[in-house]
Amino acid sequence: MLFLQLLINGVALGSAYALVALGFVLILNATSAVNFAQGDLVMVGGFVAIAAAALLPVPGIVLLPVVMIVMAVFGLVFSMLAYFPLKSRPPVSVFISTIALGIVFQNGANAIFGPEPQVAPPLLTGGYLQYGELIISRQSLSIIIVAALLIAAQHLLFAKTQFGRRLRATAQNRRMAQAVGIPVNWMIAATFGMAASLAGAAGLLLANQFFVSPTEGTDLIIKAYIAVTIGGWGSILGAVVGAMLIAMFEVIFSAFISYPVATAILYGTLLAILFFRPQGLFGETIQKRA
Amino acid sequence: MKVCHRLLAAGTAFALAAAIAPATAQEINVPVIVPVTGILSIEGKAQRNGALLAIRQASGINVKHEVIDTGSSPAGATNAIEKALSEGDVTAIAASIFGPEMLAMMPIALEAKVPLLTISGTAKITELGNPYVFRFFPGDTITKVAHADYVANVLGKKKPAIIYQTTAYGQSGREHLVANLEKLGVAPVMEEALSFSVKDMLPVLSKAKNAGADVLVVHLHSGPTALLIKQAAAMGLNLPIVAGSAMHQPTTAALLEPGELAGVCAESGSSPVSGGDAGMEAFLAAYAKAFDSAPDAFSLGAYDGVNMALQAVNDGARTAEEVRAALSNMTYKGLAMTYKSDGKGNMAHSAVVMCYDGKTRIPEIVKRYENVSGVL
Repeated sequence: MLFLQLLINGVALGSAYALVALGFVLILNATSAVNFAQGDLVMVGGFVAIAAAALLPVPGIVLLPVVMIVMAVFGLVFSMLAYFPLKSRPPVSVFISTIALGIVFQNGANAIFGPEPQVAPPLLTGGYLQYGELIISRQSLSIIIVAALLIAAQHLLFAKTQFGRRLRATAQNRRMAQAVGIPVNWMIAATFGMAASLAGAAGLLLANQFFVSPTEGTDLIIKAYIAVTIGGWGSILGAVVGAMLIAMFEVIFSAFISYPVATAILYGTLLAILFFRPQGLFGETIQKRA
Repeated sequence: MKVCHRLLAAGTAFALAAAIAPATAQEINVPVIVPVTGILSIEGKAQRNGALLAIRQASGINVKHEVIDTGSSPAGATNAIEKALSEGDVTAIAASIFGPEMLAMMPIALEAKVPLLTISGTAKITELGNPYVFRFFPGDTITKVAHADYVANVLGKKKPAIIYQTTAYGQSGREHLVANLEKLGVAPVMEEALSFSVKDMLPVLSKAKNAGADVLVVHLHSGPTALLIKQAAAMGLNLPIVAGSAMHQPTTAALLEPGELAGVCAESGSSPVSGGDAGMEAFLAAYAKAFDSAPDAFSLGAYDGVNMALQAVNDGARTAEEVRAALSNMTYKGLAMTYKSDGKGNMAHSAVVMCYDGKTRIPEIVKRYENVSGVL
């Protein structure tokens, strides 16, 4: 029964991490640049949820589309500051600019909301469901369902819509996409908007159960980076699997050994994957493109 | 003769006027160097507010002050203190709560011969022989005596599970907890270190339950403390929790529902929100008016520390060295406790344990530990 409990908790946490990693991969594929502010965008999303809840005291599920729309606009602005002015420069320039903007977001959140951890409203209601010795928080279940729906929606968008095909074409080969008339810059801006929107959703999902503070983003981006590296640089499926794996290490493995040892084993696994399968578990989309 | 009389009258009038004219207030410089941003910003802001309130309430002294953010980094602290010292005579510095930052600033303060008024709990800062460090918050050598005594003697628990942070704060607390519990004949049934980034507490709570623990003894920072208590309540663990000083902060309690706080106690240097006497109530009111928030023990410790330095100035200390000498020798009755140096710069020797009743977020002080020597 404990294992089942841990599994549910791990899947809930992994689902939220998957949204973070997914946004990271979307920008990576579209621009070949690493967005080191993806974790801070999650933090911003959490605080947007808290601010929205102060104006509209409704459950988080009602606030979710509001947060995602606001964060999508935020992502567009972010792309104009972090990416477009530097798109002709080496990718490391964008990497540095995203780090700088991430610090701006942290200090901005500190100045506006204060440094204390804060809590966002639950998606539906708080409380727990109990089945014998199994105790499942309603928030954990809500996180799993909402994250699954968002990931499925993103997959359908990419696979079944013309807009999604254009996004994929831009990610696969920007010059060819431009040559066939796809407005590449708009596609890249839309990708930033989507990535920020997913980050905002993750922020709202995490901020009730695990709180949010201005320095929250730093840890999340490291997890996203590891997830993408394990899963396969540029692979969307890999990012989701990698995120789940990290959550399983955090929750299940650490229940039977200890957190520090579980963390060490996670990083050991990462090194082993880099050594024996450097393209990650699901290959490397960018390599295929080359 | 009439001229002489007039001169005498004028001279007398002049002397009288000089005697009754208000004395020019002495001007001193007390920079406030604290982490306003970064991971210690909650504690740093509390410390800043307490120091600023004392400075604003100073009477008979003009206190020039500048708040300089250290950014929760030793490099930031070094830059901050050098900036402060470069801008003129400094009488004393309200210095960071963050141990690594204090360790970085201490050699500079020693060279400049300027006293540092801190509330850092890191034991090492008063173990390096630096005569310019004055700690106005009981360190782990004091608070963990109270923590262990409450667990073992008051609650009568014999099988504690110790859960602590991997940071220097957590490791120091754990070391003193284990040592003090051992002196009381109590051995932990489980110990687990958590990094700041751990979100799900179910693994550690399950381990504590499976180890047969009869109490959770916790020494975590604010957010992780609230997470642990919240998730322990959710899984219906029904074990008493005795937490470290992070729990006493109103910002930590604000993250929890009152019902989740039932059975939770915490140690600290003081608990201003618990009220008590007229002086504490006045401090609470003044703090709320100035900063629109509730004070915690860190802000009260900073308030008392700066006030003690200002008292030294009022008593005649004019230079930084004279303030240092005064702080080393005088006794000061502050709001939280009576302060006196033990010769190493530890000024605070008392602690309290407070408990929540599960109905409100305001704890009640259930036991005071006065003049703790650091041994049981």
